[in-house]
Amino acid sequence: MVSMPNFPPSDGSMESHETQDAIDRPGSGVEQSDLELVRRAQRGERGAFDLLVLRYQHKVVKLVARLLRDPTEAEDVAQESFVKAYRALGSFRGDSAFYTWMYRIAVNTARNAMASRQRRPIEYEGGLSEGEQSVMESRLRHTDTPEASALSEEIRATVNRAVEQLPEDLRTAIILREVEGLSYEEIAEAMECPVGTVRSRIFRAREAIDRSLKPLLD
Amino acid sequence: MSDQILEQMSALLDGELPQDQIGLLVRRMERDTELKRAFGSYVLIGETLRAPGGITASRGFATQVQAVLDDACTALPASSGTHPARRAGWLKPAAAVAVAAGTAFAAVLLIRPGDQPGSSGVAAVADVDPVPTTIADFAAADSASPTPEQSQRLAGYLVAHSQFATPIGRRSVWTSVLAQDPGIARVAYETETAEGL
Repeated sequence: MVSMPNFPPSDGSMESHETQDAIDRPGSGVEQSDLELVRRAQRGERGAFDLLVLRYQHKVVKLVARLLRDPTEAEDVAQESFVKAYRALGSFRGDSAFYTWMYRIAVNTARNAMASRQRRPIEYEGGLSEGEQSVMESRLRHTDTPEASALSEEIRATVNRAVEQLPEDLRTAIILREVEGLSYEEIAEAMECPVGTVRSRIFRAREAIDRSLKPLLD
Repeated sequence: MSDQILEQMSALLDGELPQDQIGLLVRRMERDTELKRAFGSYVLIGETLRAPGGITASRGFATQVQAVLDDACTALPASSGTHPARRAGWLKPAAAVAVAAGTAFAAVLLIRPGDQPGSSGVAAVADVDPVPTTIADFAAADSASPTPEQSQRLAGYLVAHSQFATPIGRRSVWTSVLAQDPGIARVAYETETAEGL
């Protein structure tokens, strides 16, 4: 039986740097699933693109907010980035992951926004270092609106509380997936159970957390 | 909204849903706002667990993007992998060629050599001998013997194209033509003899 991963401390310092690599690794299930959604959107299925927006909205807003150093305008620029991506979707051939392509569009849109507003752009060559990221996150948190900060804090607390209350098998499955970025097959191996059980456990964990979160978001 | 659908959606988020099930789910999610809401919530849960306290998109952000896309009536290419600008590049010349070809075809149909200036295309079509439509008509058309002028033209074609015909086919056609026109029998004989040497 796999050892239980430590639950994140309440100060929010748990971010795993391996996680994103694992989730976005080339040829991963997420990448393949994104590609399928892109192909469908290219054939005119708007719903498929809507799902991509839902999936990457937080990442893109966060990225743009870092670049602009102004969270209040981040959503406008992020929105523009998604619209640009939709218009250019016909040229996406799947040579890179969808998010990598989306990331480039968001960076260029943010740069254009800064240039047009006569702002000093942040030097952004290949990503911020770990230290720079944490400084920027901290700055952004302070410049965020009080209401948004309060909601964000409440969401975080609710999610953490809901995860703590999950039965152990569900908690392990959701942490291995969302924090450690393991595939269903890897989780099945680690938890010594069938892949179908993993899929069901992750779903039930999400449902339980969603039930706690729903009153907050409605 | 059944748990089975929600579980499929959860698997889609993780990239673990078989490809043949994605299409149906996407179409279902287009109609079902609650399903979309749940998907957005699952995404938020993941983001919060990975980067607690970080900046996230506000509620309704995705809906706003969708509304902007709806308003802008952004047209996607119908076929995958074709950029709209690139498509427009070759579309214009292709359309011009199609118009030109159509015009030429109409001209061929309506204007025949020998038409008098001023005579309409409709009149020209009406002047043509009636096309045989019954078996009796076809028999009558076949039985009409060719004029000497027509026979001479036919013999000319045969001589000109004889190199492309098989010897058996050529011989049978020669036989029928020669039987009708003894005037060209000598020419035919000389050609066959030369080929036989």
